[in-house]
Amino acid sequence: MMAGVSRILIRRLSSSQSLPPSVRCCSRNFHFNINGKRDDAKVSNDISQYPVVDHHFDAVVVGAGGAGLRAAFGLSEAGFNTACVTKLFPTRSHTVAAQGGINAALGNMEADDWRWHFYDTVKGSDWLGDQDAIHYMTEQAPASVVELENFGMPFSRTEDGKIYQRAFGGQSLKFGKGGQAHRCCCVADRTGHSLLHTLYGRSLRFDTSYFVEYFALDLLMEDGECKGVIAFCMEDGSIHRFRSKNTVIATGGYGRTYFSCTSAHTSTGDGNAMVTRAGLPCQDLEFVQFHPTGIYGAGCLITEGCRGEGGILINSEGERFMERYAPNAKDLASRDVVSRSMTIEIREGRGCGPEKDHVYLQLHHLPPQQLAVRLPGISETAMIFAGVEVTKEPIPVLPTVHYNMGGVPTNYKGQVITHVGGEDKVVPGLYACGEAACASVHGANRLGANSLLDLVVFGRACALTIAETGTPGEKLSPLKPNAGEESVANLDKIRFAEGTIRTSEIRLNMQKTMQNHAAVFRTGDLLKEGCDKMDAIYQSMEDIKTFDRGIVWNTDLVESLELQNLMLNAVQTIHSAEARKESRGAHAREDYQDRMDELDYAKPLAGQEKKSFDQHWRKHTLSTVDIKTGKVTLGYRPVIDRSLDQEECSAIPPAIRSY
Amino acid sequence: MLGVLVKRVVNRVYQVVLRPTLACPVSTRGYKGEASDDSRGDLIEIPLPPWTEKDGETMDMKRRRLLFQSRKRGMLENCILLSLFAKKYLNTMSETQLRQYDRLINEPSNDWDIYYWATEAQPVPNVYAGEIMDLLKEFTKNKDQEQRLDAPNLEYLDKGSQ
Repeated sequence: MMAGVSRILIRRLSSSQSLPPSVRCCSRNFHFNINGKRDDAKVSNDISQYPVVDHHFDAVVVGAGGAGLRAAFGLSEAGFNTACVTKLFPTRSHTVAAQGGINAALGNMEADDWRWHFYDTVKGSDWLGDQDAIHYMTEQAPASVVELENFGMPFSRTEDGKIYQRAFGGQSLKFGKGGQAHRCCCVADRTGHSLLHTLYGRSLRFDTSYFVEYFALDLLMEDGECKGVIAFCMEDGSIHRFRSKNTVIATGGYGRTYFSCTSAHTSTGDGNAMVTRAGLPCQDLEFVQFHPTGIYGAGCLITEGCRGEGGILINSEGERFMERYAPNAKDLASRDVVSRSMTIEIREGRGCGPEKDHVYLQLHHLPPQQLAVRLPGISETAMIFAGVEVTKEPIPVLPTVHYNMGGVPTNYKGQVITHVGGEDKVVPGLYACGEAACASVHGANRLGANSLLDLVVFGRACALTIAETGTPGEKLSPLKPNAGEESVANLDKIRFAEGTIRTSEIRLNMQKTMQNHAAVFRTGDLLKEGCDKMDAIYQSMEDIKTFDRGIVWNTDLVESLELQNLMLNAVQTIHSAEARKESRGAHAREDYQDRMDELDYAKPLAGQEKKSFDQHWRKHTLSTVDIKTGKVTLGYRPVIDRSLDQEECSAIPPAIRSY
Repeated sequence: MLGVLVKRVVNRVYQVVLRPTLACPVSTRGYKGEASDDSRGDLIEIPLPPWTEKDGETMDMKRRRLLFQSRKRGMLENCILLSLFAKKYLNTMSETQLRQYDRLINEPSNDWDIYYWATEAQPVPNVYAGEIMDLLKEFTKNKDQEQRLDAPNLEYLDKGSQ
């Protein structure tokens, strides 16, 4: 019955080719009209029997989360005819989950300096972050927050009317010597939502065209240049090619490669996969952040803000164990330090619960009023998913996959780069920002509340760079008439797949393998075994079985395409992790417990000989995949150790990282 | 000019009305109310285009669309809650119920609001009150103590041949 309906729909679409565009568009009015613009889209029949609509824009942004919206808004404001292609309604992007806040050295709670924030971020990244990008981000932070406020974001205020700033993990004063810094600005508990609402609302006034519930399939690449994106409309199954000189990838992370993660089911690494299929490298995918406090079981996040407001972690003996692992920062040490400490406590037998496989987050010593006002959502989440009353009992928590530091490699301007002949080379026409990108500001580990900052600073950077290097209304270079054919062929193949293994089964195999073999603590044998298993699971995609043959609102199809994307992220993650023989930031190995830098920074540097590039690990991993065989190839590129201006802000030389 | 004045007055009234009185006792479920430091200025000053019902959709198409929109939400809590809810109720909803559900999951701009209403941490606005909201609230209570570790796989929809 469903197939019959969809057959009729397709027939209607293809037979409407003889009608003028204005009439044809009427059946899809809501996409082309509701948000203001009607472009003169043309229908062709170049690719198989799927009707294809071609659009021309000055810029296309894929993803409508914080980064995508900031980029789309900036571009529209600069006069560029911009399209934003998103599989979700903008205010439903995963950014809405962000309850923590944005870091900026405004100095409202105590004297502050962005160079201290710079230091904290470089140290937090375990010296894998590119210091020019970090300089850019931390210096722009105060101006970015003020700009957001001017756009209309109602930041929480202190009694004297200044923006309220709270403590967050890893933030210090005076280059780590002045105690805890209070830098995190928030809009009550809905910073993420406010950001999305404000940017989406403002961008509409500048006539941004939104293509909502369109699933982006692939980049349109020609001669190493990105000429746009091909996507399919879930509402009517039509294929759309968005041709543009400037494409921005802002598709978020890929937490769903793991069995337990705090991410929504939309975090499927679509952008990373599109870049991989285009033959370009992804960077540092082995660095997966485990948030210390995900609810045991469901994985729902308990924000770090809890610890910022005074919550503490305790083991089965009721001890505040973080005092041992991080005497200064204690529970507000960097996330990787806290996750590792929790895992050690569990492995040494001081875990809580009947299986002794988690620890407790205690909040009931805080005044109930403070909990209700500053951290309201916690009570519901704890009750529904853990059956716990936070004003009376502690919450069972476990380190849970939360963020991907790695992604599409870019320079500090947001341009996507490859590494050829020992030099960074810009990929023309392609940009990336947000969690999908790797600028790299977070390096081996991200500090809390730096992600929302990352979104706005680099979303804006992409818009600025595009405005600098191009003009609105520029003529587009020609594109092969059958561009995007393989993507449609793949879509068709998955839609009619008649193998023997269901999508959900393959997905579960992948998630369990990643969870067991590439989690908080990693070791050589376990990783090697995981690599072999993942390679086999990749091959099993050939035998995938889908059940919904329709073309309209086919969730089975979308989830299977997402699985393809997840698979590419997973194999690169585990192979990169297996190859990296050191511990750095979020990548912790039991068999290689120390950082392997070019010099041993634990000892005096005088008289030491610098190790050569292939003998140390303070470098970025670049991974590519042969799509047909699933073989992962790894390469490396150096970390950028200079800031943008040595006079303004001296780069921080590597040191041993302790809190 | 008058418009600006009116807006300012409305804002002020809005803020005063919604500021919680601190004398209010905090319930054991941690009633959220309106956080005193959330002026909601962005929601007031930057209204988004109003949500409208889709025309010309068959009930089957509505169900298919609502399935996708139940499973793909802004945060994990809603992904789990709504996809389990959809698994239980979506295929047997009447037309009126489908339209109520459509409005509930598509009109609110903050996914967290839907979660707070379902968990009764916040009162449900009148426009969303009704059969479906009651079903959702009841479902969320989880009286049968089901394990709710993740969203269900889609295969419950595979009836063999389509």
